[in-house]
Formats: sequence, structure tokens, C-alpha cells
Amino acid sequence: MIKSMRQSTLETIGLGSVHSIFSKGKLPVNAAEQVDKVFGPVGNRGSLVISGANGIVGAGKLMQFGSRLKDYNIPIVALDFPGAPDGITPQYKGLASSFGKKNADEIMANVIRLNYDGNNLPSLLKSLNPKFLLEAIPEILNVKKAHFELFRSNFPGIEIRSVTSGFPSKELGVGIYHPAFPHQINKIWEVVENEPSEITKLLWALGMIPMAVSDEWSFVLDVLFCGLMVSALRYNRATNIPFWKIDKYIRKFFGPNPFRAHDVIGAKGANFLTWNCLHDLSTKYGDLFAPTEALVEHKDSGQNWYPLNHLRPMVNTTIDAAGSMQFNIWILGSLFQMTSLMIHEKRSHFSIMNSVGELCAQFRKGTLALMRNMGAEQSKRIVEAYHKLHPEAALNAWHPEALDNLDSNDWKQLYVNAEHDGEVGVITLGREAYNDDVNAELNRAIDWLKAENIHKVILTGDFHLTTQLVGADTNEFFPALDHHNIGYRISYQWSKTARRLYHEFETSVAFINGKRCLGGMLELFQHCHYIVTDDDSDLGAPEVNLPVVPGMEMCHLPFRRTGSDNWAKLIKLLLEGRSVKGKDTVGWLTDYSAQGEAAIKMAWELASKGELAMPKRKIHESSLYIPSFYPTAPTENKNILEARKAIMDTILASCGANYHEALKVQSECSAKFMTSDLCRKGFVGQEAEKTMNV
Amino acid sequence: MNVESIFPKAHIPYGTWGASYFPAWQSSPLAEVNIGQFAGEAMAYIMGKRKVPMNSLDYLVSGSTIPWHWKFWGSPFLASCAGQRVPGYHLEQACATGLKAIFAAAGAVQGGLANVSGVLTFDRTSDSPVGVFPERRSYERTVALSDVWDNFGFDPATGGAMIATAGNAARKHKIDRKEVDELTFLRYKQYFQALDSGFLAKVLVPLEVLNLQGKVMGKIDSDAGVRSISLEALHSQRELDTCVTSGTQTHASDGMATMLVTTKEKARELSSQPDIDIQIIGLVEARALPSLMAEAPAMAVKKLLQQTGLTMNDIAVVKDHNPFAVNDAIFAKELNYDWHNMNKTGCPLVWGHPQGPTLTRLSIEALQETVDLGGGYALVFGCAAGDVGIAGIFKVSEGGKA
Repeated sequence: MIKSMRQSTLETIGLGSVHSIFSKGKLPVNAAEQVDKVFGPVGNRGSLVISGANGIVGAGKLMQFGSRLKDYNIPIVALDFPGAPDGITPQYKGLASSFGKKNADEIMANVIRLNYDGNNLPSLLKSLNPKFLLEAIPEILNVKKAHFELFRSNFPGIEIRSVTSGFPSKELGVGIYHPAFPHQINKIWEVVENEPSEITKLLWALGMIPMAVSDEWSFVLDVLFCGLMVSALRYNRATNIPFWKIDKYIRKFFGPNPFRAHDVIGAKGANFLTWNCLHDLSTKYGDLFAPTEALVEHKDSGQNWYPLNHLRPMVNTTIDAAGSMQFNIWILGSLFQMTSLMIHEKRSHFSIMNSVGELCAQFRKGTLALMRNMGAEQSKRIVEAYHKLHPEAALNAWHPEALDNLDSNDWKQLYVNAEHDGEVGVITLGREAYNDDVNAELNRAIDWLKAENIHKVILTGDFHLTTQLVGADTNEFFPALDHHNIGYRISYQWSKTARRLYHEFETSVAFINGKRCLGGMLELFQHCHYIVTDDDSDLGAPEVNLPVVPGMEMCHLPFRRTGSDNWAKLIKLLLEGRSVKGKDTVGWLTDYSAQGEAAIKMAWELASKGELAMPKRKIHESSLYIPSFYPTAPTENKNILEARKAIMDTILASCGANYHEALKVQSECSAKFMTSDLCRKGFVGQEAEKTMNV
Repeated sequence: MNVESIFPKAHIPYGTWGASYFPAWQSSPLAEVNIGQFAGEAMAYIMGKRKVPMNSLDYLVSGSTIPWHWKFWGSPFLASCAGQRVPGYHLEQACATGLKAIFAAAGAVQGGLANVSGVLTFDRTSDSPVGVFPERRSYERTVALSDVWDNFGFDPATGGAMIATAGNAARKHKIDRKEVDELTFLRYKQYFQALDSGFLAKVLVPLEVLNLQGKVMGKIDSDAGVRSISLEALHSQRELDTCVTSGTQTHASDGMATMLVTTKEKARELSSQPDIDIQIIGLVEARALPSLMAEAPAMAVKKLLQQTGLTMNDIAVVKDHNPFAVNDAIFAKELNYDWHNMNKTGCPLVWGHPQGPTLTRLSIEALQETVDLGGGYALVFGCAAGDVGIAGIFKVSEGGKA
């Protein structure tokens, strides 16, 4: 019996709990088995058909499936009208750049381009035995339905999914796989199915991120993205602040650039899709979603939102403090109301709803996290203030009661979950970048496990929303550029949380899988008693390249847990910023490395048996003498040299202190560096300037 | 006395107006930018400050006098710069432009062409463009003409310079240099009183100009170049023509001004003070004899008073576009009016002469001053190239009541 703080998102796609992955020592499904289930066994493989394959979605998904199915010899049929402009060939360049020419050629070798007239399928298609149709044709309901009927009548039993951005499954009569832009690389799909299907599990097994959402007019991503767009357009209508400037403010306060995104995707198509989505939503939910005149005009004209290059803006429209408040009411009030509607309708797991905003719509924090951090009463007040500006929105689709359970774990644990079987706990991180929210949730997860009397724990990604762990969320550092105390607080508090993993559990095991584990996340994992990694995961400390000074004790903790003969490797890792494969880190950065399920099994064994399975690497608590010179790869980049010096100084200072004092020493060094000119000139400083200086 | 408007359907929503400051020629970033684009964007910004959504507008009358980049596209382009794709047209009649544009917008509302018409006037005298005109009959074969300075220096209809029209009129009307200096001194005093009292801040909007990288390259937050001047200094200046010195004439400047004209209902909806009703009573133009431009405004006012049946005693606020101080002196003499009582909140003699927007800004100042006084008639008039005088009367409801 597994008990959890909240439901695992993995369960929403029929793949069980993360805990069961470890306890069973295997992943719930694997790609080869799922390919067999969906396309038939080797020797009798069917094909994947993508219709509308020359469109932006169709061509992008063709590349994504092509690259992931290449090793399974699945023919991919690219179906489109004879006169459709070629959208596939232009993808080749990107494919070759990502996978190399040889792989790209092999991927393209599996692509079979067929034309049809819209009414009759090509006879050749039968010989390719279509098993799965991914429909990416234009958003016209009757055309789509006729298309499905055509396939069903020719290929009874074929699985069909639509990439529609708005029609519900009940209207289409097929399941939905709604993808997120950019389609070649974005792994997220909003999935509408009665029950999780074998194809959905295949997507997961292929490394994509299917997210279960409910069957409504427009899905979570479109409600958030199109909703943000219409909120921004209303603000434009009320204030005349130009679109480009509103975009900058939205980026500053929330993260996305909705107007730029439309232009980048292609204004003609994107404007129509946004209008179409809002039109459908407003038909059902009223004025909250009603498209504005400007959107109608841009939909009809296909015009970009940003000014033409020769008309770069001339009059500064920067808003003052009062204007910022009004801006927040227009945007947040509207978004909070939309989120209340989605919660009321139970459109998805809270973490998924929140993550869709972050991973697909580029919100720095998802709307649920924003509301939670603001509190129910303040969130409601913002919506009420918005209704004073836009009274028609108050008439429908406002569900303040949806905010009444902010104390539930569904709200409180958007990013971090904890599960246990009474003996071993698993803490899962559902966010790829560490921030204050993750830090607070991790503390609550630790508290919960302790309250449940759990003394053994595995810390890992969530096998769903995180496919890698990239480090600290550098957005959190922006205020630290000007305020030493903020940098210190971040470093000190996050490190204190990380230390709990070591001091408050009998055994803690960090499990690293996925593509990479970098920076702050690797630092966090260093605090566990054991670190188990997949052979192929990249581990690294890229801070020197930003540059920042590591703040979660990477500059002394790993030194205290390995012999001096390994220090050169640690210093190389910290000063050169290059990643190393998991299999090359055992003994100096990690404790065990293996391929896939073998690593999972070892993580479970270590968590269950502790030192009976493997002795722990102890922390050397007194000060260490670290020689001040180790050879590193030469560079003439003065900034890198200066950053290396700052990191080396931190290593010397924090290792020179005892383990207890080192926490403060490292926090001080990290905070001090963040206020330096070098940090301001680097990635963090430039991003802060670009984002915050509107 | 109650006088009917010539455009009874047209009303000006109180407060839905504004102008940039008018920095002197070559003294601000406006000297280096496309003034049309600037004006369009500034209009949207000003209307935003006044809480008027640009999508309220369905028409735009624009006006300017100096060629600008992309002027071919006229009002529709300017409207696009302001973020609202509406039709409209561009008009140009030297310094009469700023007042004629308001009346043209009123005519558009009166005639049903527009429900809410914007008025947008602007000009950049700085870096005056040079036109190159093939002229087969001129001995040069091709004439290059610096739009501002060459035109000021030469009226092709009379062969004289602009400055000569002031000197001629001063001699004709026997205007005294001492009086003109004193009048000028008062005008400066009035301007600085209006500035210090905060009056100008009610109608002028500080603006910032961005460079190509989106960084602020300068601020337009003062009538740059305007400095207080003493009576002694005015007396000591060399006379360039009769009663005309560098101190008693205006200076070239850059800027824009904007306002709205709409129906009574819509005016109430758009205005922050809907009880204040503003109407356009009448407009006339007159033309003086050759090279006597400075007397033309007085001629226009006389004609307008005759048409409307009003007298100067009925007028609450008098504002004159006075590129030459002798204009005010001649007007006072001809209308038997005390020049101390006019231009109380500033005038172009002091704050400059960007041509297109001059009379629009003057009208905005006049309307604000009239509202501050509790209502009444506002007389706005001035001269324009070609020995033209133009005069208009607005009516502001008494005590803010329609």
C-alpha cells in the first residue's frame, strides 16, 4: 500500500506511482514493447500516418516521431494534398544539425510522402498497413470528421488522434493529442482519452510528456495561452500601450511573450488559431474570452503584432507604479478567473495545469503557483478588481470557491511529491529548475515523511514532468544582483534544505536519470547519503560559464566526501563547466552508476538496506587543505578566468572552514559574486537587464 | 448671448487632448526622428493617459506643413502609428493648419462621416527637408528648396520675406516699438506664470523618444529654448524690420498636438468631466493685402464677430497665434482691446512655431483656460503664410454645465 502527499502525475496516464518504479525495479512500460503493441511485432509492423504533414504541426511532429521511432523501423506516411507547399524538406537541416547527417538520412528514409485529394486515400497506403493516424489538418470540424470516417472505412480498427487546438473529443469522435510549440522539439502533448491508451504510454516510453486533460472546448494550454493573449489585448484596448510593450511587461512580470510568440509561430496561422480558440471559449463561457477587435483584425489580415523593422517604436510607453498595478489587475485578474474555471471543471491534475503554463506557455511560475503564493483572498481581490475594469467578465465563468482549498496538498505540492510504503519514501521533483517554490515544497515533503515516521528516502525526478534537472532557476537570482542579502538568503536557505536530506534521514539516496543533472540540482543531490546515476546522464556544474558561484555547497561538500586524489576531477568539473557522463563519476561525485533499470534497482537496494548494501561516504567535517593550483583547460577568455578564480577562492575558503561554518562561507561567496560586475555582465545579468528593464 | 454652432452635432470631449512640449529648432531628439511616426505614437500615448481607447476613433484628420518621411500615406499611416486603422485625410495650410484641422474634424462629425474623429497635427522644422524640383523655365533648370527657411524668406506671390509682412503692417498701423517690447515682455511673464502655476502641465504631456535599440535617447519635457527675458534686453535688440527684433518674433520649433471631436453623447462618454460641453461656434478666414500678414488676424476676428453677432466683451479667453508681437498690437488697436487681457496662458511668440500643431496647442490651452474660468467663449486666431488670417470661436458650457 503506497501512501502519497498527493496523486502522482504519472498515475494520470496509467503508469502508477514513482515509488512502484523503484520497488519493482523497472519502468512501468518500455518503448520496444509499446511499439509492438501499437504497430505490431517485428515482421508485421504497421505504419504511422500523419495527415496534413506539410503543415507546421504535421511536419514538426513528423520529425519528432521520425527520430524516436527510427530504431523500430516504423514507416511514417506523410499525407497531404498534392499542391500543399512542402513543409517537410525545410525540416531536414534542423534534423541533421540535431542528430547528424547519417541519422537524419536514416530518419528521412522512413518517411513516405503520399498525396491524396481529400476524398480518396491512395491505394498504396493499404500496403503500408496504417495502425495510427495523427491528424494535423485544418481546424474545420466537418472536414476533420469526414477525414476520420475515410480512414475508419478503409482501415477498421486504426487508432486516430487529432492535434486539434480546440475541438473536444466528443465533437470529433476521436482522442486528442494536442501538442505544444515548437513542434519538432516540444515533448508535451495534452491528451484527451477515456482511458490512457497504449499509444499514450508509448509516447511516454519514447521520452515524450503526455499530460492527461479533460474533454472541453480548448485545452489547458490554449486557455492559458490564448487567455493571456486576450488579457493583453484588453489591456491594450484600455490603455493604448502598444502590443510590443505589453509583451515586455508580460515577460517581466510573468514570463511569456504572447505577441512575439504569435509572430514567431507565424502570425497568419497563429492569429487564426487564437481567435478560433477564444471564439469557441467565449461562445461557451462569455465575455471573459471574447476576442477583441484587434484580434479579429489581425486574424483577418494575418498581420504581425510587432512593428515592422522600419517602424521600430519611437515613443516610450513605460508605465509607472500605478500603471503596473493596473497592468497586473488586467492580466492576472483575467488569468486567475480562467484558472478558477479550469479548476472548477477539473480539467487536469493541479501540477499538470501548473506545468502546462510553465513548460508550454513560458510562465515563469504557473498560474496555480502564482495564486497559491498570493493567497486565496488576495487572488480573489485581484479578480474582483479586474471585474470593475471588465464587468462583462464577471457574468460567467468565475468560480471563487475553486480557491478555497489552498491548504490541500494538491495546491501546496505542485512541484514536489512524496510517497512511501511505510518503510521507504520517495520524494519526486516535478520541476526541472530549482526555485523558492521547490525549496518550500521540498521542506514540506521532508516534514511529511518524517511525520509519517519514514527514515529512508529516495530523491529523484518525477519520471514525467521532468526529463532532466537543469539546476537553479536563474530568474530567482535577478534581485540578488542588486541585493547581497537576497543572494545570501537564497544560497543559505536552499543549502539548509538540502542538508536536511543528510541529517534528517537514516538513509537518503539521490537518483539521477534523464538527460542531465546540472548545477543547483546536482548540488542538491550531493547532500544525499548515496548518489546513484544512470550511465548516460550528463552531470555538470556549468556555473562558471554563466558565471555564478555555486551556492548549494558544491564547492566543499563533494571534496569532504572523497579522497584528495579525486579533488582534481572535482576542480576540473567546477572550473571548466563541462559535463561528465554518469558512468565516469563513480567514487568522486556519485556512488553507483548503471544502465536504466539496473540503476533503479540499486537505488532501491541502497534505500532499503543502507550500509548493508554499500558503505556510506562520510563527510569530513573539519577543515580541508586544498592546494590552490590544479591544471585546467587553457582559456583566454578573461571573464572565464575571473570566474574560475572566484570559484577557486570559494573552494579554498569553504573547504578551509569546518563543515558547519562552510554553509555560511559558501553562501557569502555566492552572494558576493552575484553583486559583482562580472555577474552583471554575464548571462544572469544580461537576462535580468533584458527581462526586467522594460 | 447664446450663439448657435455652425456644427451643432460636433462636440469636443473635455480633457481628451494634449500636446507635446515644443522644443526649439535643433534642441531635442525630435530634430532627428520621423515626426509623423512620433506624432502618431504620441497621440496613442496621450489618449491612453486621458483614458481614451484608440479604438474609440473611427476617423483621423491630420495636419502638417513640412514634408516628412512617408507623408504620401497621410492620415491612414498616422492612424496606424497610433495603433488604430481608420481612414481620414491630411490637410495643410501653413499655420492655419492647426485650427482648420479641428474644424475639419467637426465637419466630418457634422456630416456623418465620422462618429469620433481624431485631430492630429505636427511638424518638425528642425533639419528642414530640402526639395529638389526640376524647373525647365528656371535658369538653374533644377531648384533645390529648403522647405522652412527658403519659404520663410520668400513669398512667391509677393516676392517678399515673411518678416517684411510684419514690418509693413507695423508701419501701416503706426505701431510703437516700445509698446511691442512691453507686450513681448508681458507675454514671457504670462508664459512663465502658466508654467509655474501648473497650467501647462494640464495640457502638455512629457514624452520620451526611443532610439533604434529601444533605449531612451532623450526627453521632450519642456519648451526647450524658452528663456525669460528682461525689458531692457528687449529694448536693446537690433530692429530687423519695423518693430521686429529677434526678441519680438517667434522661433522655429518641433512638436505635435492632438484632440478629439465627436457627438454630444460620445463626448460625455469619453470625457472625464462629462458635464462640461464644448462646441465649435464658428470659423472664418481672411486675406490681407500683399505683404501685410500681421493685420490679417484682426481682419478675420472682425469678420467672425460680425458673423456670430458676438463682441469682444462676450469673449472669456483670447488666444492669438502671434509669430510677431506686432500681430497682438495691431489686433488690440483694431479691435480696441487691451492686449494685457489676452494670451494669458502662453502663446507661440514665446513657446515657438512648429507650424502645423501651433493653433491646435493654442486651442487646447484656450479651452483649458476657459474651463478653469468656469466657461464662456474662447477666441482663437492667428496668421498664416500668404497674408492669411484665421479665427475660430469655441463655447465652453458655463460652470461645467451643458
